[in-house]
Amino acid sequence: MRDATTSPSRAGHGTPALSVRGFTKTYAGGFTAVQGLDLEVPDGAFFGLLGPNGAGKTTLIGAISNLVRPTAGEIEVFGHRHDAREARRLVGLAEQDINLDRFLNVDEVLIYHAGFFGMGRAHARRRAKELMDVFDLSAKAKVRPTALSGGMRRRLLFARALMHEPRLLILDEPTAGVDVELRSELWEYTRRLHEAGTTILLTTHYLEEAEALCEEIALIRGGRIIARDSAEGLRAQYGAADIAGVYLQAMARAAEDERRVAA
Amino acid sequence: MSVSSVTGALPDPNAPFTEERRGLIWLCEREVVRFLKLWVQTLIAPVMSSLLFIVVFGVALGDRIADVDGVPYKQFIVPGLVVQAILTAAYSNNSSTVFQARSDRFINDVLSSPLRWWEVNIGLAIGGVVRGLMTGILLLILAVAMTGIGVERPFVLLIATALVLVAFAQLGVIAGIYAKSWDFMAFVTSLVILPLSFLGGIFYSVDRLPAAWELVSHFNPIFYLVQAFRIGFVGQGDVSVWLALAVLVALAAGLSAWCAWLFKTGHRLKP
Ligand SMILES: Nc1ncnc2c1ncn2[C@@H]1O[C@H](COP(=O)(O)OP(=O)(O)OP(=O)(O)O)[C@@H](O)[C@H]1O
Ligand SMILES: [Mg+2]
Repeated sequence: MRDATTSPSRAGHGTPALSVRGFTKTYAGGFTAVQGLDLEVPDGAFFGLLGPNGAGKTTLIGAISNLVRPTAGEIEVFGHRHDAREARRLVGLAEQDINLDRFLNVDEVLIYHAGFFGMGRAHARRRAKELMDVFDLSAKAKVRPTALSGGMRRRLLFARALMHEPRLLILDEPTAGVDVELRSELWEYTRRLHEAGTTILLTTHYLEEAEALCEEIALIRGGRIIARDSAEGLRAQYGAADIAGVYLQAMARAAEDERRVAA
Repeated sequence: MSVSSVTGALPDPNAPFTEERRGLIWLCEREVVRFLKLWVQTLIAPVMSSLLFIVVFGVALGDRIADVDGVPYKQFIVPGLVVQAILTAAYSNNSSTVFQARSDRFINDVLSSPLRWWEVNIGLAIGGVVRGLMTGILLLILAVAMTGIGVERPFVLLIATALVLVAFAQLGVIAGIYAKSWDFMAFVTSLVILPLSFLGGIFYSVDRLPAAWELVSHFNPIFYLVQAFRIGFVGQGDVSVWLALAVLVALAAGLSAWCAWLFKTGHRLKP
């Protein structure tokens, strides 16, 4: 295994890491969470998806990761249909809700995850050890996830998403409930993954940090993308000093549009 | 955290998917590891409780109960108790593993992996199959030692065991997928499986029942499982071996189809 920091490789053949066209999700109760959403994330990008609670971020992520059945639309991951094995293999997901196997120990959580992705046992053990070292979980290797602190569970969730060496890493609020120090460490680590060539799709409610990290940002509200650009471009477009300003203005405008449509 | 040590290869996005070790094998292993970690609850406890019936009804009371169709009573009840233990083990193992995985949502780890839908189905069902088999073998050894029962038609017993394992492993997965609470699964066990087992002729021959009840018994699927096992052990039952096995085949096929549909469509597993 080569050290990705020393030899970053970008695919560079133009195929986007993620391409979403006309994605719509209407849940069983009849509620439409996302409506006709288009989104393209270039290979190697650090992409932020920002929006209020209930905007449809997790719904979109669920559809990309084959956890939510799309009502309509097409989703491709590096040019593969999102439900193809080639696509699934390339995606690493740390969900918003912590979901760790309570019957396995910390090291087993990592090893079996890699196993589901087809990794061999020795390889998986090696990788798990590596990531437990990185995420300071080695001392807890033989402990069940239920006996971990909240921050440790977040780290394990993050490490699990990385086990199979994904090319597209999806982080759905990876720093929810995490202390300041760990939060900055997680961001720093994510930044390095990105430098090493991993495409990152991130949702977070920490706007400043998103602004500092993301090359591109999409604002989503009511299941629609209402703005999309680099942080700089968005600031210029809205004449705002920072992304928080952009966010508030964009949301206020969207709310106004919604009222006008409703009236 | 040591943030400086980013390691791992970046995969080629155009490479075909390959496995160093099959994901399906890993999932099967996970399911077996799960119940083995809890072996006292999952293996010893059910074997002991079935054994209790053999001790009380067979060995202690059996001498006072007349032979049934020439079979000593303590032996007569063994096939039904063995099949009941097997089907309960397969069902309860799978209903709880699937329900736990759904309610904690770690099933998402499997559903988002490159495992194919039928691999997920087989993987999640296999724990119940292995646990049912181990329960059956343990109980068989103990029952042979305690009652001296033999196996008259081993081939019938083998086929019946395989079919029961498939049917109830799948039923457990289905229940785990539909369940909204733990109580639902306990409800199925205590108000469906247990009564149907006891009314399925474990402790008596339905020939002795009044005609109406005998007729009703024939609508109970578990009756045919008990019959198939009894034919396997003592060589005879209340129905023909072909009818008993045919019902088992239908049951296994029907439940497998239902289960396959759930996994293929993602119905109830994915919103
Ligand atoms: N399983 C479900 N069934 C029905 N409605 C759902 C389901 N999951 C989500 N929704 C609805 O879809 C909408 C979008 O939810 P989603 O979780 O995608 O939002 P989000 O942008 O991730 O929000 P947050 O920032 O709070 O995580 C919400 O109105 C939510 O109630
Ligand atoms: Mg969310």
